[in-house]
Amino acid sequence: MTTHSIFGRALNTALPAILLLGLVLSACGGAAPAEGTLRVAFQPLVQTDPATISSDTEVFVANAVYDYLVDVDPDSNVVPRLATEWDINDDGLTYTFPLAEGVSFHDGSALTAEDVVWTFDRLRDPDNGYPTADLYANITGIEATGELEVTFTLDQTNPFFLYDLSDNHALVMSSDTEDPSDFNGTGPFVVESYSPEDRILLTANDDYFVDGQPQLATVEVIFFSDENAMVDALRGGQVDLVMRMSTPLFESLQGVDGITTYNIPTGGFDLVRLRADREPGNDPRVIQAMKLATDRAAILELVQQGYGAVGNDSPIGPIFDAYHDDGVQAPERDVEAARALLAEAGYEDGLDLTIHVPNSGGRPDLAAVLQDQWADAGINLEISVEPEEVYYGENGWLEVDLGITGWGARPYPQLYLDTMLVSGAVWNESHFSDEEFDALAALAGSTLDDQERIDAYSQIQQLLAERGPVIIPYHFPQFAAIRDGFTGFQLEAFAGRTDVHTIGTE
Amino acid sequence: MTTTTNPDLASESAAPVRGQRWLVSLRALLRNPAHTAGLIIFILFLLIAIFGPMLAPYGVNEQIVEDARQAPSAAHWFGTDRLGRDVFSRVLLGARDIFSLAGLGTLVAVLVGTSLGLLSGYRGGLFDELLMRFFDSLLSLPALLLALLLLGTLGPSRQSVLLVIIVVYIPIVARVVRSVVLSVKTRGYIEAARVQGESSARILFREILPAVLPALAVEAALRFSYAIFLASSLGFLGVGVQPPSPDWGLMVKEARDNVSQTPWALWFPAGAISILVIAVNLLADGLKTLFRVED
Amino acid sequence: MAVPLLQLKDLSVAYRSRRGALRAVRDLSLEIAKGQTYGLVGESGSGKTTLALAVLNYLGKDGYIESGQVLFEGADMAALDEAGLRALWQGGMAHVPQNPFTALNPSMRIGEQVAEAIALNSEIDAPEIETRVLDLLAQVRLPDPARVARAYPHEISGGQQQRVIIAIALGRQPSLLVLDEPTTALDVTTEAVVLDLLRELVRDRDTAALYVSHNLGVVAGLTDRVAVLYASELVEDAPTKELYRQPLHPYTRGLLDSVPRLGQRKDVKPLQGIEGQIPSLTDLPSGCLFAPRCPLAIDQCWEERPPLDHPTPDRRVRCHRWPEILAGEVDAGRDAVEPIQVEDYQPETILTVEQLDVQYPIQRSLADVLAGEPARYVQVVDQLDLRIRSRETLGVVGESGSGKSSLARALIGLVAAEGGEVELLGVQLPARLDARSTETLAHLQMVFQNPEEALNPYLTIAESLRRPLRNLRGMSYAEAQAMVPQLLESVRLPAEYARRLPGQLSGGEKQRVAIARAFATHPDLLLADEPVSALDVSVQANILNLLAELQNEHDTAMLFIAHDIAVVGYLADRIAVMYLGQLMQQGPAEIIFDPPYHPYTEALLSAVPPPDPFVKQEHIRLSGEVPSAADPPSGCPFHTRCPRFLGDICVEQEPPWRETQDGKAIYCHIPIEELQAAQSPVLRFNGEGD
Repeated sequence: MTTHSIFGRALNTALPAILLLGLVLSACGGAAPAEGTLRVAFQPLVQTDPATISSDTEVFVANAVYDYLVDVDPDSNVVPRLATEWDINDDGLTYTFPLAEGVSFHDGSALTAEDVVWTFDRLRDPDNGYPTADLYANITGIEATGELEVTFTLDQTNPFFLYDLSDNHALVMSSDTEDPSDFNGTGPFVVESYSPEDRILLTANDDYFVDGQPQLATVEVIFFSDENAMVDALRGGQVDLVMRMSTPLFESLQGVDGITTYNIPTGGFDLVRLRADREPGNDPRVIQAMKLATDRAAILELVQQGYGAVGNDSPIGPIFDAYHDDGVQAPERDVEAARALLAEAGYEDGLDLTIHVPNSGGRPDLAAVLQDQWADAGINLEISVEPEEVYYGENGWLEVDLGITGWGARPYPQLYLDTMLVSGAVWNESHFSDEEFDALAALAGSTLDDQERIDAYSQIQQLLAERGPVIIPYHFPQFAAIRDGFTGFQLEAFAGRTDVHTIGTE
Repeated sequence: MTTTTNPDLASESAAPVRGQRWLVSLRALLRNPAHTAGLIIFILFLLIAIFGPMLAPYGVNEQIVEDARQAPSAAHWFGTDRLGRDVFSRVLLGARDIFSLAGLGTLVAVLVGTSLGLLSGYRGGLFDELLMRFFDSLLSLPALLLALLLLGTLGPSRQSVLLVIIVVYIPIVARVVRSVVLSVKTRGYIEAARVQGESSARILFREILPAVLPALAVEAALRFSYAIFLASSLGFLGVGVQPPSPDWGLMVKEARDNVSQTPWALWFPAGAISILVIAVNLLADGLKTLFRVED
Repeated sequence: MAVPLLQLKDLSVAYRSRRGALRAVRDLSLEIAKGQTYGLVGESGSGKTTLALAVLNYLGKDGYIESGQVLFEGADMAALDEAGLRALWQGGMAHVPQNPFTALNPSMRIGEQVAEAIALNSEIDAPEIETRVLDLLAQVRLPDPARVARAYPHEISGGQQQRVIIAIALGRQPSLLVLDEPTTALDVTTEAVVLDLLRELVRDRDTAALYVSHNLGVVAGLTDRVAVLYASELVEDAPTKELYRQPLHPYTRGLLDSVPRLGQRKDVKPLQGIEGQIPSLTDLPSGCLFAPRCPLAIDQCWEERPPLDHPTPDRRVRCHRWPEILAGEVDAGRDAVEPIQVEDYQPETILTVEQLDVQYPIQRSLADVLAGEPARYVQVVDQLDLRIRSRETLGVVGESGSGKSSLARALIGLVAAEGGEVELLGVQLPARLDARSTETLAHLQMVFQNPEEALNPYLTIAESLRRPLRNLRGMSYAEAQAMVPQLLESVRLPAEYARRLPGQLSGGEKQRVAIARAFATHPDLLLADEPVSALDVSVQANILNLLAELQNEHDTAMLFIAHDIAVVGYLADRIAVMYLGQLMQQGPAEIIFDPPYHPYTEALLSAVPPPDPFVKQEHIRLSGEVPSAADPPSGCPFHTRCPRFLGDICVEQEPPWRETQDGKAIYCHIPIEELQAAQSPVLRFNGEGD
């Protein structure tokens, strides 16, 4: 068995840094008493069973109360958590995880490998109906191969398996759990009190197995149903941290004394796609003309007010540091070229299309901007703004010719390719079918050779920018604002996954 | 007791010759400054609705990236919105939208409501009873609630809003017309017309309808003002006309999210709604006084 | 001479209007002495109501005294402050308006309202007030005062309400009663009772009264002096008897000649209405205001406004030619109106009505319907038989509630008769108008009571006149349009009226158009339902004559319905008297005023105030109210009020029709001979006049 570095340069730099951090902390006296209170504004909590959580609040609280087997850092690198390391055998089908010692649940019972087995068996059992069942379908067995060692066996290679293990729901629970909502985790914080609709109060877990964590004595998650109220509370000093807010609200916090703002690009994006299997999109010149008619920088400026990142029509965005190829650019706006292509395709008198848009986020604005930009090239858009339940209802979004769909952040890019773009994919809304693409995607999704994967992703980005059926004009930003006096805040693209146990007071 | 019933002055009531009547009416309307203001503003908005596209300095959806989110200035009288669109142009162009939506909706509601009201009031009986009970049940719901219910089934679109305005206002118009018909149909001249062998259709449309017109004019004006309000409310709630249409209510809704950045993008369409609604209400009030229509 | 109770000195009253000040009373002087009853007569627009309101200082926000003074007990009312005015209204003067219902507070019991009036100006304690209330209610002849005191206004009849108003007025112990048409809204028999009451009160209490009325009959019987107003001016003022005996102003003479006396007939002494109409206050002639309508007008009258002269110390008249009139050298009576010839009517019957029943359902509440309460009906016409012969005028007279209008409406088909048969020219008519043929509609036409409602205000006169021609005579638009001037001319209206709207016509002119419209189809039978009751007296006469002329011209038979027995007597060939849906008496018109009478006819004749102070009238008053048609009395419908009530037979059995030899039929248990013996003529004329 060899300790396998999966992510080349990422892990090579990250792992030693973390180990170093641990050393530094323990050197500083280890169990420094936790102090200070952080008050976080969030939407109210609904689900408390880790297997069913989904919102930022739910994940945020779960991440504080429970631990993942492995975690993902803000740069999308897999890092140890309950597992101290991992070992992958040469065929890439067997993963062995030694667990940290001295870990106990909040009820005092010690963490054993059985608890991990129980947790993942629960999540992958199709009879339980959890969304993770599909994700873990390629696991053939989970075994406690020691008191503190778990071994996973797969039926095919999966270079992203560690990311799968770090899925939002994959929080390790006690095998004795009777009520999955009992907040009995091993995590850095213990639930002191929970009043639905009002707040949840977390206090530091003094027996947490990582030295120096948590740093805060208490965390109060205060529930708000309105973003404006959250931001007002932040300004007024009633809360210390707000994550996820609208761009105008975020703008309004710029330059406010005593508040530090954060914004990062995420993997999520709005997707403009044209059906490639029928007129007019079955002529690739049409989507190329659309790409040429699009001014991405202007779109980012108008729709996202400059936040986030310009997209280059590929879901492999800049957040995926290891795979994103800075050299690939979507074509510059060239209205004349767009017109010429359209004329070649037989639309010299212009092309009239209806664009279907769910009435959420910046998507109606994106449609309005596209309408204006594309009109210059003779593409005349009729905008049909629809409530989300109409747009997505009865799979209508998969039927329409031209649509805008929002795609959320994924932990690794292969998920986008496999669900969105390969032939016959379940959500292949553009009905794209390209042999070259399919081959590249299959290669990237199965090879264990990092460089091979990096190369395949680079080619995919190039291919999509040139002839992909989609326009990805921007990647969403994620926003946060925190009152001064706190340290160690590291915003995650999925705000709920932001670690609270690294935050301390100055 | 007031002197208005003084029989000594009974013969002194003004009886202008046909044709001059409108002129006299207009003059009477202009006697009240509030009504005059209502009329002038209404005409102003109507002109904007007609000539707006010629007057607007920018296109309805024209985005000027470098001017996005700018406060009112000489270049952009009402400022620009989050997408760099000229708010002044959008307010101007929205006038036509609201006039065509509220106007057409009101028109159809008035036409259908009038026909039903005439028929129901004149024929009476079971038809009247059933229709009125049905209308009562519709009217028992607040207009906005009824509109939301309808839009829930129809899905939001311009056509749906039009239909909603029509459906919501038909019962109201029909009720008003019916009540006038009920008071008119027992008049001597209606009985006289029957004795002269007039057909029911002619009695309805030639003998009764003219008496309904004053109340109808007032009602139509009121309905128009409420229709503006309803269409704007639905736009604001996001279930009416959809983006990027320059519907005033929708503009207010969209600007509300950005109110901290571009408050002007909210002020001007909201102001346009209020001013037009108030003006049409004043006008309706003027018509009411003019035609001596009782509430 | 003592200070008069009320003195008007050169009083001018005006209203602010859009078209400037409208002077409704000008330069009027008048004195009312203590205890004197002063009549104020004139047509609508004469200024009489304004004058009454000015006396009460009650002109409203637009009215004001332009010049002159109103002195009450020597004090200038204009100088009174608010407290003084209130004191005046409370004690000095009391007002009895035309419509009693609007003058009563609908949410207060009658007793409280009377008590309030008493308490206002006397300091007596509560129990005493209660006694006074019952006293007053008894004084105004209200039956069962205790019950009335507890009632709300809507629970008592219009006549009783008017008596309550008078009781309230009396409660204030006024020295001057201002009465504005107090009996106009009442039925004749009720009016007679109220008038008796007023006469008595004025006499017993020494109360002065200013009595405003258009009814020359009422004024003749009640007042000491009469002032005649015309278009804002006083034109004549004289002691009542002198005024009626020899009117000196042609307008007064015209008014008197316009009103049919009891027994006056169209073929003997035709009425002489006044041509034209009262001028608009904004457009008064420069000379004598009456000149445009005066048969005696000479050049001077057109140029110069006549002064108010004193022909005798007791009389005033505003006419240039009064000396000639006084001397009998000229006569303002018009010779122009020829007696209207009555051709012998043909014996054949054109309309036969048998066993006609008209009912109106009484609205039941939903609860009643669910509880299975049977539907109830008001029987407005009860088993009525009637015949009208060709060219004949049948007059139907009756009070409100007698069913006379329902009879007409059932005949025309506007209400569907519940039972009985109507046969016109041998054709049996369907009950409903909609089921009748075009021919029937053309044969049977109707003139309605209210000219204001007879014409659609939104249609031109021409259009209103074209419709029957097009619908019922099958004319084309052009043909019908060509007929319009002819139709207008037939009712003496200028052809240019065709383009006008009804709002531009006076009431009389509207009724003329309605008559032209009704005759446009050359009907065989015309139903005229109170066609003149809404019109001023001077206009009434012309309309009545016009009806009679057109009837002769078209050989039309007419069913003429009216509450005024004098009017019916003037126009009809035969008269039927109706009470509670049934006929009480019928027979030739000439002999209706002679005994024997049905006891109801006798009471009716006795109640009509004759426009002639010299007529002697039997005093017969009916007690109680007309019974409800929802619950009509058994036997003879009149038995509950009959002054000649026989006993059980009247209650238990329907009376027989008894006929006299001259063709009069009476529906009564009392044999003709006994009636003849017991009754004397109700009206006796003192030799002069007719």
